[in-house]
Amino acid sequence: MPSLDTKNFGRVAFETEDTIEFPRGLPGFEDRRRFLAIRQQQTAPLVFLQSLEDPELCFTTAPVLAVDPAFRLKLSEEDRDAAGLGAVRKPRIGKDVWALAVISVRETGPTVNLLAPLVINLRSLRAVQAVMRESTYSHQHALPEPAEAACS
Amino acid sequence: MMSRRAGETILIGDRIEIVIAQIGRSRVKVGIRAPRDTPVMARELKLVREENRAAAGAGRASDWGGLVARLEPPLQVSGAATDKDIARQEAAPKN
Repeated sequence: MPSLDTKNFGRVAFETEDTIEFPRGLPGFEDRRRFLAIRQQQTAPLVFLQSLEDPELCFTTAPVLAVDPAFRLKLSEEDRDAAGLGAVRKPRIGKDVWALAVISVRETGPTVNLLAPLVINLRSLRAVQAVMRESTYSHQHALPEPAEAACS
Repeated sequence: MMSRRAGETILIGDRIEIVIAQIGRSRVKVGIRAPRDTPVMARELKLVREENRAAAGAGRASDWGGLVARLEPPLQVSGAATDKDIARQEAAPKN
């Protein structure tokens, strides 16, 4: 089994078929195309997207529905093609695709990029960072302060 | 402001040409001819690029607990997209 050096988790073994491929890379990181999604129980629902080509590059992400349970995916035809979803007109989160929002930690608090989630084809693991069309989602959506008393 | 019809061109300086290629109901197809060293991209893409670069620098383990507390617990709901018309915005760089 191949293994890779990761930014946060030391050396990690992985299956080649679990590799997520962004054929166009990510904006700003166009030559980084292969990633591994790392999840651990104690930091769920966070998903760490570790570059296979650069051990120092790891995005902290969260499923868009963990940020906004009402999130609606609106993909352009171009982005559906890039993720190999050409035939799937309305990809469903959790069924056809996985949609992860990239998290930035700033001095003013953490924000997530809901304007352009990472959309991963669950069948082929081909992926694209897709800019949502006709949406009001922000590329710097503030994550609210945690509630004092959770109602559970 | 400048108003143009389909097929007409706008010049910016000597080296940048913008052709209104096609006008649809809710989107416009624009052809752009610019020197190679002038990046041509949709504005959103620039925002996403800057955001990705900022995010790549973040990601310390000490932040994770605070992040988890701000997120909904994992959901297994399928949020189906509803919009019939998926809009497309095109910038076609021609070099």
